[in-house]
Amino acid sequence: RPQPTSAEKIAAAEIEIEMVSDMFTRLTQSCAKKCIQNDYRESDLNKAESVCLDRCVSKFFEVNLKVSEKMQGEAGRR
Amino acid sequence: MNIPGMPGMGGAAGGGGNLSDQQLQEQKVIKYIQAGMESCAAKTVMAGVAGFALGGMFGLFMSSMRYDTPLSGPLNASNPLNPANTPDISTLPMRQQLRLGLRDMAKTSYSSAKNFGLIGAIFSGTECTIEGFRAKNDLWNGVSAGCLTGGALAVKAGPQAMALGCGGFAAFSAAIDWYMRLPEEERRKNVI
Repeated sequence: RPQPTSAEKIAAAEIEIEMVSDMFTRLTQSCAKKCIQNDYRESDLNKAESVCLDRCVSKFFEVNLKVSEKMQGEAGRR
Repeated sequence: MNIPGMPGMGGAAGGGGNLSDQQLQEQKVIKYIQAGMESCAAKTVMAGVAGFALGGMFGLFMSSMRYDTPLSGPLNASNPLNPANTPDISTLPMRQQLRLGLRDMAKTSYSSAKNFGLIGAIFSGTECTIEGFRAKNDLWNGVSAGCLTGGALAVKAGPQAMALGCGGFAAFSAAIDWYMRLPEEERRKNVI
């Protein structure tokens, strides 16, 4: 099997970084919009917000996982 | 990694490169301690201790106002259980009077302290738990916690007293929370 050249490896790494960075941005934006109301009075997260953020991040990753499983199933069928 | 899209991971990776292992360990311990401080158990304990101290002072103050009611014990001539010829407390030597008075103050103060400590602990514990379940921070947490606290305090006096305690304490908590959460004078804009 031909090994990937270094240019290909660099390209793959760039794509991966872009994907991870995109996922991070989406995650923070959607969870911040869901969990953090706009009438706060202090900079620390209170208990409700930190619990909500924990749940939001876990759910995001689970949704991601399930959707990617389904997509792989679809791609495998075609 | 100097990519602006991932400030969190970049910061962590950069931090790992600059600090030694021991400092990393210390930071982890500090983070655990801080997380522990914000846990429901720690909040319950702190509220209980603060309530105990406050109740102690309140009981001390209240007992010092009760100089005219008879102290408990057989040393009161008007005590119907002891019609014998026992002296009134004012005829005792000064040291005895002081001792009896201080003992009475301590008893009142301790019972008041226990009561307030229990109120504080139950309220804080239930409020923190409810907030943890709902993942929302509004005044309904305090109202439900107040209802549960009022009900728990009156549990020995029957269901009607429990309902009354629940309603009263919930209303009190709602009033305090409503006042504390009044928006500030300036107009608020949306953050995002």
